[in-house]
Amino acid sequence: MIEKGKIWKFSGVILIVYVIIAGLLIPLKPGIESVEPSYGNAGETLKIQVTGYNTHFKEAGNTLRAWLKWDNGKAIAATEMVALDERRMNLTFSIPNNLPENTEVQAVTLLIDSETDGTSVLPSAIFLTQTEKVIAAEEVPWVKPSNFSNNGLITFPFRNILGETIRNTYFHVPLWFGMMFLFLFAVIHSIKYLRKGDAESDLKAEAYTQTGIFYGLLGLITGALWAKNTWGAYWSWDIKQNMTVVALLIYAAYFILRASFEDPEKRARVCAAYGIFAFSTLIPLLYVIPRLTDSLHPGSGGNPAFGSQDLDNTMRLVFYPAVIGFTLFGFWLSSLQFRYLRLQKLREDLD
Amino acid sequence: MKDLHFIILLLRKEILLEFRTRSAISGIFLYVISTLFVVYETFVKIQPNVWNTLFWIILLFVAVNAMVKSFVQEKGNRVLYYYSLLNPSHVLIAKIVYNTLLLLVLSLLIWGLFIFFGDNPVKDLGLFLLILFLGSFGFSVTFTFLASLVAASNQSSTLLAVLSFPLIIPIILMLVKISAHALRLIQDTAVSGDIAILVAIDLLLCGVALLLFPFIWRD
Repeated sequence: MIEKGKIWKFSGVILIVYVIIAGLLIPLKPGIESVEPSYGNAGETLKIQVTGYNTHFKEAGNTLRAWLKWDNGKAIAATEMVALDERRMNLTFSIPNNLPENTEVQAVTLLIDSETDGTSVLPSAIFLTQTEKVIAAEEVPWVKPSNFSNNGLITFPFRNILGETIRNTYFHVPLWFGMMFLFLFAVIHSIKYLRKGDAESDLKAEAYTQTGIFYGLLGLITGALWAKNTWGAYWSWDIKQNMTVVALLIYAAYFILRASFEDPEKRARVCAAYGIFAFSTLIPLLYVIPRLTDSLHPGSGGNPAFGSQDLDNTMRLVFYPAVIGFTLFGFWLSSLQFRYLRLQKLREDLD
Repeated sequence: MKDLHFIILLLRKEILLEFRTRSAISGIFLYVISTLFVVYETFVKIQPNVWNTLFWIILLFVAVNAMVKSFVQEKGNRVLYYYSLLNPSHVLIAKIVYNTLLLLVLSLLIWGLFIFFGDNPVKDLGLFLLILFLGSFGFSVTFTFLASLVAASNQSSTLLAVLSFPLIIPIILMLVKISAHALRLIQDTAVSGDIAILVAIDLLLCGVALLLFPFIWRD
């Protein structure tokens, strides 16, 4: 039997194990990786080769359907579909002479649907050029893509640049959430210390700050690896990356300050005051300043906000447990660290 | 009313002490002049965008050096005397006001020397004066409060720089952004919003410092 007070520790570990298993093993939804060539002209017969990801073009056989779709909802169906292997397929479209929009270059979306893979979408897959409007009337077989199939499998969404790195959402983001909770608890214990003068609160504040920095570093590393794969470099001088380093410097200074005191009572008091002061600058640092400048992160600089488009329901089933799990695990680490610090202090007192 | 009376008395004490022992303040003035001279010797010609950053960085270093000794006098037996006599909030407010005035004078001196050695890239005088005040106030709050922590620790002035530079970043980023506006380096319609954010950060830090100072002061 598990003791009552330990249930939260076990649930934290179980949630993390669940997140690692589900987050790493659930496959990505089949998607369209690239299209070659990605441009064409009005009136021509366009042959393109599609490269899919996790797709089963051969297996899908004659349930395969493909369309090119304009923004205004008009679409044309592919006239010929040849699956070369599971991941590559040749499509032929006869592009109408009169394109349905008025601009010279028009972006069209590629839609592929099959019973085995469900529906995949690649926005702005092909750019079609129309140099002059052909007056002659023309019968274009416009269709409306419908009857999309659903293969019923549990998958994570496929996003073109992200690819498999979308799984980092379950590690990078929850680590940040966890860090903020840990720093919040550190500041609560600092306030407690100033109010009650209980030496244990000071040690708790120190322990929470240490694990908070540990989580911050892990968040920074997972973020840098993610950035290398999606933005092209480990460090992009993105405002959020910079502000995070500043936040970690602030808390590193906390330990420099701790080390510069002999008297434990005085150290506890001054460090509690610094901890509260530092935490109050974190709010403008992490939540106000990054919003004022462009950032590569979601939610700023024209990028879609986190949560609305980036998380679908399957991801939520892993993401929310990940946030709770990593936070609980952080609390457990902090309580272990607190006990270690308390023993260390006891030994110092005995010496 | 009584609070104000005490604060003004303490402020007078600060100013009197500073002018009786002129060595500290003359040291800071000399620091400013020699820094500016080194800057112009090495840069020769300063572009407005470089000027903008340089101005605030110099003010930052001047502020650290000017403020590190804020609580050096409050040591030993004298602190017991103050402790029995004064309300800690009054002490902190007087120090913050004094340091704000000092920084304002120093920043005007830096600006004047910049004009004397080179030229004046500031186009919007009113806005620039406003952020000189807001910047001096923000620096003064942060450095004065942290100097009180450092004074409690018997450590050198590097500790103040280590503690304060990361904490000052939100303020200095806002200052550089708004002052770029005063130099007409950027055209931004949201400048009043930026000023509001800067004021909010200043007041937030000031409020937190006032809440926490009594715990540092009590010895």
